[in-house]
Amino acid sequence: MTALEIGIASFPVLMILIFLRVPIGLSMFLVGLGGLIMVTDGTQVAFGRLKSETYSTFSSYSLTIVPMFLLMGHFATLGGMSTALFKAAEGFLGHRKGGVAMAAIGACAGFGAICGSSLATAATMGRVALPELKQYGYAGGFSTATLAAGGTLGILIPPSVVLVIYAILTEQNIAKLFLAAFIPGLLAAIGYVIVISIYVRLYPESAGTRPAIAWAERFANLVKVWPVLLVFGLVVGGIYGGLFTPTEGAAVGAFGTGFIAWMNGGLDRPNLVDSFMVTARSTAMIFFIVLGAGFYNGFLALTKVPQELADFVVSQGFSPWMVLALILAFYLIFGCLMDSLSMILLTIPIFFPVISVMDFGLLSLIDMQADAAMEVLRNGVPEGMGAEMLTSIQEAIATGTELTREQMKELGIRVTEGRVNRIETEYVAIWFGILVLIVVEVGLITPPVGMNLFIINAMDRKTKMIDTYKAVMFFVASDIIRVIILVAFPFITLLPLLLLY
Amino acid sequence: MHKLMMGLARSMAILGGMVLSLLIFLTCLSIIGRLLNGAFHSDVMQSIAPGFSNWMVTWVGPINGDFELVEAGVAFAIFAFLPLCQISAGHAAVDVVANAFPRGVNRFLRMITELLFAAVLVLIAWRLAAGTISKFGNGETSFLLEFQIWWALGASLFGAVVAAIVGVYMGAVRTIEFFTGRIQVWDGVEGEQ
Repeated sequence: MTALEIGIASFPVLMILIFLRVPIGLSMFLVGLGGLIMVTDGTQVAFGRLKSETYSTFSSYSLTIVPMFLLMGHFATLGGMSTALFKAAEGFLGHRKGGVAMAAIGACAGFGAICGSSLATAATMGRVALPELKQYGYAGGFSTATLAAGGTLGILIPPSVVLVIYAILTEQNIAKLFLAAFIPGLLAAIGYVIVISIYVRLYPESAGTRPAIAWAERFANLVKVWPVLLVFGLVVGGIYGGLFTPTEGAAVGAFGTGFIAWMNGGLDRPNLVDSFMVTARSTAMIFFIVLGAGFYNGFLALTKVPQELADFVVSQGFSPWMVLALILAFYLIFGCLMDSLSMILLTIPIFFPVISVMDFGLLSLIDMQADAAMEVLRNGVPEGMGAEMLTSIQEAIATGTELTREQMKELGIRVTEGRVNRIETEYVAIWFGILVLIVVEVGLITPPVGMNLFIINAMDRKTKMIDTYKAVMFFVASDIIRVIILVAFPFITLLPLLLLY
Repeated sequence: MHKLMMGLARSMAILGGMVLSLLIFLTCLSIIGRLLNGAFHSDVMQSIAPGFSNWMVTWVGPINGDFELVEAGVAFAIFAFLPLCQISAGHAAVDVVANAFPRGVNRFLRMITELLFAAVLVLIAWRLAAGTISKFGNGETSFLLEFQIWWALGASLFGAVVAAIVGVYMGAVRTIEFFTGRIQVWDGVEGEQ
């Protein structure tokens, strides 16, 4: 067997292990270890790597952000911030048709801004909003579906643990990825609100009414969300203001939410121990998957499978859009079975090389050259430029031909093909990351194994799972429509990057 | 026995959590120091109170090598978190297919899985010990703080050894469960069987 064959054969073995309920991290570790031993003819290389690889994986500076964000998210659940957010949103929206459900979505979006985990967002907002929804006569399945969908905003709106992992796997800038996630995150919240207003019109009996409250009280409630804004502003502002790194931002956020929880009396000893336990379990789970994936991907890279696959896809001349659509569809289907983090760690090292060699034509060399040239010329013709040169440049811009090296030198700009390609590669990586993030999150609310559905449904004994399933399909539809929009218009995702960088 | 192991795992998790919290404090202090240092270096402060500012910048600043401590500390914390994840079956797995298997098959699979997991954790601890010894031997130090790297590896090794012990214990528990057919440690997964 050649190394390449061993690499290819490792996929079915890995899949079988995973479907036999062997933990995903362990499966990848075992297959990676076995494969490495086979490829390198002995245990020497594999055991040698293990000497330092566990420690270096667990002590990687960019990964230290993960336990800090997890602790931050858990402290956030203790500080009464979820209640404040929900009360504020309810004041403004609650009296509308389906308004309490809309308020729950709004509060989830706000909570997502300080919590990087969907499960924590769903669980926390569920505790706060579910009793209220019931009280105002909202149907059981509709309420649970709303909260499960709202929970996914926890990870769509930065900070987001999944995005951190994606950034590390693809060597992209975490801050830029967070920035790119904002507009899609807000679109998600808006989409869910639209779904609610359609749903309550289709099934008027599924929502009750709630009297409006006075404006003074609404603003009083709004003022009470200041801790959320403070922490969010500090973390996000600090990262983009260049005051600190994303990891430091996570530390500031964890300290901030912990402090607020402590001030509100939510952080007593049992709660602190409980926070440690929850953080410990999720951290250990995530890092074991990261370790296994690192080992497996190291083995795969040695067999050159990702490279061969990328070459194969290119040589077949598939349309990039077709490939992208297939990958996203794959995530949607597998998301029904597997959790988002495992799926990203398992598949990104294979799919990303394929995507990054595809040409989506997001940028055009000629347009960028023309823009840069116009920018220079608008400030007046550069000194010493001959009339002939100027005419030739104007002609090139008008006819849409590439500028020559000579012309660019005269203008004092440097827009070469290499530079445009570099920027394009980064844009594609970020755009693809956001798309993947959305489709794997859809997996949290699709039957049969949507974790968010389970969490919320477990809180509400009276609602049957099947009712939740039925109602949640409306939200899944809105997710799919959003993915299609974002695929068709990449610049929706990239807009903040274009403005800020 | 289970109480002891659970207590061990929980204590390790609390220890790891405390180290993580300390690192969070440390990072925040370092940021404040860095920002204040920048402020005292600014033109405004230098013109208002040059003497005071110059005295302040001598001792107010970022904590030297804070990220080295964060890296070493977080590595320890994660190793310390492993035992709890192990004993409470916290690892992510796909159970759609396995749910359809008969109970006996599932118990068998569970035994094999836990035994493999135990073997992997022992392997990790053993290799980490070898790594620690080689760092001890060559006396490598960290870049800025110049602390001995093997201290950091040794601390992590402690967590890895506890994880291996708990892993072996869980492997034994699942083996006994398979052969006697009596569940000893409930963790919610058996509920649906």
